[in-house]
Amino acid sequence: MAEERASPGRVQKIAGLPLWVRLLAIVVLVGLAVAMSDWLVLLLLIALGLWPITVLLGLAGLALFSMGRGGLSWLRTWLGARVRDLAIPLLSIFTALLIGGLVIMFTDQEVYTALGAGDIGGAVSTALRNLGTAYGALYQGAFGDPMQILEALGQALRGGGIGPVLSAVRGPSDSMVQSVPYIFAGLAVAVGFRAGLFNIGVEGQIGIGWIAAVVVGFSLTGLPWFVHLPLCILVGAAAGGLWASIAGFLRARTGAHEVITTIMLNYISFRLSEWLLCGPLEFTKGTCRTKEIAESAYLPRFLSHPVALHWGFVLALGATALAAWFLFRTTWGYELRTVGANPNAARYGGMSVTRTWVLAMFLSGCLAGLAGVSQGLGITHNAALGFQAGYGFDAIALALLGKSNPLGVLAAAIIFGVLRAGSARMQSVAGVPTEIVQIVQALVIVFIAAPAIIRAIYRLREERREEAELVVFSRGWGA
Amino acid sequence: MAVQARTAGVAEAPGISRRDIFITVMMLLVGGGIIILGAFGTQAGDQATFTDQILGTLFSLSAQPTLYLIGMACLFMAGLRLYRGFAALRTWLALALVVLAAFAFLVWMTSGTSLNLPGMVQATLTAATPLTLGAMCGLLCERSGIINIAIEGMMLFGAFAGVAFAALFNNLWMGLIAASLVGGVMAGLHAVLSIKYKVDQIISGTVINILAVGATRFLNLRVLEPAGLSTPGHFDAVRIPVLAEIPIVGPILFENQPTTYIMLILLVVVNYVVFFTPWGLRMRACGEHPRAADTVGVAVNRMRYISVVIGGLIAGVGGAYFSLGQVGTFEDGMTRGQGFVALAAMIFGNWNPIGAFVAALLFGFANALQVKMQILQPVLPIINVPIPPEFLQMAPYILTIIVVAGVVGRVRPPAQEGKPYEKQ
Repeated sequence: MAEERASPGRVQKIAGLPLWVRLLAIVVLVGLAVAMSDWLVLLLLIALGLWPITVLLGLAGLALFSMGRGGLSWLRTWLGARVRDLAIPLLSIFTALLIGGLVIMFTDQEVYTALGAGDIGGAVSTALRNLGTAYGALYQGAFGDPMQILEALGQALRGGGIGPVLSAVRGPSDSMVQSVPYIFAGLAVAVGFRAGLFNIGVEGQIGIGWIAAVVVGFSLTGLPWFVHLPLCILVGAAAGGLWASIAGFLRARTGAHEVITTIMLNYISFRLSEWLLCGPLEFTKGTCRTKEIAESAYLPRFLSHPVALHWGFVLALGATALAAWFLFRTTWGYELRTVGANPNAARYGGMSVTRTWVLAMFLSGCLAGLAGVSQGLGITHNAALGFQAGYGFDAIALALLGKSNPLGVLAAAIIFGVLRAGSARMQSVAGVPTEIVQIVQALVIVFIAAPAIIRAIYRLREERREEAELVVFSRGWGA
Repeated sequence: MAVQARTAGVAEAPGISRRDIFITVMMLLVGGGIIILGAFGTQAGDQATFTDQILGTLFSLSAQPTLYLIGMACLFMAGLRLYRGFAALRTWLALALVVLAAFAFLVWMTSGTSLNLPGMVQATLTAATPLTLGAMCGLLCERSGIINIAIEGMMLFGAFAGVAFAALFNNLWMGLIAASLVGGVMAGLHAVLSIKYKVDQIISGTVINILAVGATRFLNLRVLEPAGLSTPGHFDAVRIPVLAEIPIVGPILFENQPTTYIMLILLVVVNYVVFFTPWGLRMRACGEHPRAADTVGVAVNRMRYISVVIGGLIAGVGGAYFSLGQVGTFEDGMTRGQGFVALAAMIFGNWNPIGAFVAALLFGFANALQVKMQILQPVLPIINVPIPPEFLQMAPYILTIIVVAGVVGRVRPPAQEGKPYEKQ
């Protein structure tokens, strides 16, 4: 209560300033951020690579902050609330990783060879050693080697140049790069969930948006980047949105369940992109790949080579903020959530349920399209066969993990980006197929959707207040 | 223009549903399309010859007049509907339209060449096998009140387990049994999640679908391939002696994959059990009105567990069709969304095994036609380009959307499906 009364005062003080002062302040702040973007990104990557230190620093900062708010007791309540909020998601991820580890151990050929030779102790130690290698590679792929980062930082401070630091933070950079499409795709599913729609078609919408953006990217040349790049982004988003609205429209007009129509649209879009990429759009015969986009359509990258993070990351953060603002601060967002919570009540309240469904599907598809756009313009600079790579299906887990809340989705997307970046290294170092991550993700959904399992394993007490947050997805196949 | 004007005028008349207008407009469009196909897609003297392995040429039609005739018939049906009013003979006319359109397509494709007609029917039946099995799985789950969108995942697990165990025991039948059992286990997971933990059934199904894709790929790369268990071979068609000699019917019905025979037997059994036994009545009551079923002493949740697991066992067999019935090895995502098409067949068939089978035949025909057309490569009239195979492959999926969109308002799902049951 106390802090709630304290903060409006500050907000009012800022709101009391003349408009031009506030605008100027925003422009200056944004300008500063853009000018320093490389350094900010580097700081973020280092913070991620050295996350235990970051967490400690954060706690210390919080402790300082709490001095003005009632000291340790406030800190304890605040942390307690956060821990209670995060207990189920974090324990879900932990348990899923644990089971994933068991799967890795039990599918290890070397273990069975040792068992076959009758060497049980050897089998156990081999299993543990191989699991250690695998999860060690997962960690390094995702966060880099902390000692290497510290060393490189020391060298840089002694005047050794920035190069070693950049190669040391490659892991965190890869994680962030992987999380960009996850953020967009997760938001796409979350917006659908909020409207009571289950958009499984994100995978297809990503592909449509990707191809559309790339086509605009290579077919128009000679435009300045500030025209070309936004155009590509908008076209990609709109293409994904329109593709998804087919399902929204069918749901609204005929009652066709979006789960089936979006899945069918997925398969149609896969065939469509196969035809486009190996047919009319193919650049060199036999590659099933389009032409490179013009440089004016590139999403620019931060820093230099080993770091591949691009401005799509900033776009994704912007999309998160925008989605949160839309859902919780606008009339349309309110209608969307009302329709999701109870379509009958929404209809009774005079809202157009059908229009909201089409709108929600369109927005969801736009976000999905942006996931493709960010990959196409930021990473690959073309479109090639088999490019969507499962982001759309993982996005379902993200939306559930983040409880369809944009900020929650952002956090979940970063966790998944970390897993994905790590799994790539795990495959190359330890020979464990990346699909283990899919298994882990499926388990995470199970645990999040059925918290009773996690509570039973860790003997947690049941919370009473969460019932209100439940979103109902299945309403049968009829209306 | 005339078409639009006419239907627009009708739309204002009271008591006519949008769906009736849709069917009539479809008839007009299909009729017109067939006539255009005849006029531009065939040469004047072309013969479409339909053959049989045993009898030789069955019959031979002049393609162009036949197409004109069929097109006229479609237009006549539309006229009949406009004249007699809309509700008249709705279902039968719609069915007749589909059959006529399919036949017209066949005639156009074969104009100038010949086609093995029983072979085509047999291919349709084969393609309908996993769809029917999947639809029966969905039907058992949904009649008892559990939505199952995980048919795809259960089939994929079945396809994988079939290969693994067939290679392990060096026996295809062991593979088939294992496929079925693994399908049942995954269904058990779905049942536990949605009945015991009351997880939203769509989410629970999605979990199994994601898990199926990930787990089968993972195990295939990490276990099957290194252990050399990935090529157990596949079932050959089983020829039933004597019966297979009957012309036309023989090759269609009595020279099939084991999975197809199993499907036909299960079709009869499931239909009988669900609709003609006390157990089936109780099971359906759990989906329609669980409270009432509970009151008269039916253990609702146990009933749901049993139905879902039996459904999974059937879906597992459907999965074995893909691996053991066809290619004899496991490929990533080899069920290619057929589980969802099966779901659409179930809805189209109004949660009834026979209806689902008819719908599955329709989808199976789209599939068989698509395969055939990739071989024959017919050229589209007027624009003179061959249809790209990717577009043909889309056909079953587009058909599914049309079916779900055009039909779903008319069908009635079990009243209480998707809702967990709690005893009071």
